[in-house]
Amino acid sequence: MSLLQRAFPALLVAAMGCFVVAPYLIYQAPYESTMGLVQKIFYFHAPSGMMMFLGAFISGLAGARYLMKGTPASDRVAAAAAELVVVFGLIVLVTGPLWARKAWGVWWQWDARLTSSLLLWTMFMACMLVRKYGGPGAEKLSAAVALFGMANVPFVYVSVNVWRTLHPKTSVVPSLAPGMRGPFWFCALTFLLLFLVLLSVRLRLGEQQEELETLYLDLDDAPVGA
Amino acid sequence: MTRILLAVVMALGVAGPRVVEARQAQAVSAQPAPAAPADGQGEFVPVSELPPTEQLPAAPLVLGAYAFIWAAVLVYVFLLRRRLAAVQKDLDQLKRQTRS
Repeated sequence: MSLLQRAFPALLVAAMGCFVVAPYLIYQAPYESTMGLVQKIFYFHAPSGMMMFLGAFISGLAGARYLMKGTPASDRVAAAAAELVVVFGLIVLVTGPLWARKAWGVWWQWDARLTSSLLLWTMFMACMLVRKYGGPGAEKLSAAVALFGMANVPFVYVSVNVWRTLHPKTSVVPSLAPGMRGPFWFCALTFLLLFLVLLSVRLRLGEQQEELETLYLDLDDAPVGA
Repeated sequence: MTRILLAVVMALGVAGPRVVEARQAQAVSAQPAPAAPADGQGEFVPVSELPPTEQLPAAPLVLGAYAFIWAAVLVYVFLLRRRLAAVQKDLDQLKRQTRS
């Protein structure tokens, strides 16, 4: 049993506890001067983005390891992390426009950060579709797509600093006011715990699917009449 | 005459760019200084109070965002649980088959 699976009960309890406390901390956090209440979406939006990036890195690195060594465990990690990129990416792409509607007056802008985030999300959607419908060898194709997706993460991150965008720059988080800093990092921890819990469950599913495939193969290989 | 003409052309060649540069400098100094980047793009600035009229329109968006996050996570957990149950069922069936 892996370390993640052994720690699963503690992670689950910690994540649930943090999710109970987080709304209170967000409620207590001060309002932002220009955006007011709607800025409070930030406390879940930004950590979701961080988890999307983390998932992309894990999937890309596991995919690279699978391409080099061919270990089934790496493939399972790559698949699990890719799914989480899609989930957390969806959260980012929905909560962002809800915030933007109030802050910018529009639901969406084709600026560098938003466009590159959407592209990153579609890359990992493609990763999952390739795995599901790609036929023999789909695992390697999927790993390659995940690796390509991972390579895009630094560009998505620096896009707000390099190009002129509506999206706040990366300097926002390091320069948060003290009253906002605590709730933000608490929410980031909360989402990290959630990410680890979901990754653990998804890995368990991958292990069971592999066990099932092995049993099917054993049945196929068994002599007739045995 | 030729020398005079040559001197005039050379003088124009030297003075011309200087005149153009002076005019460009004038135009630049006449333009207003570029605006400083808005604070909202560089940092979040908190305030202690906001007028109530500015809070109300944002509430549905904030609630919608948090509701969506909860819904997305719960739906994913439900789907994972369903997939796990299906695989576990197939596994149990196959194990029974291999034993028999």
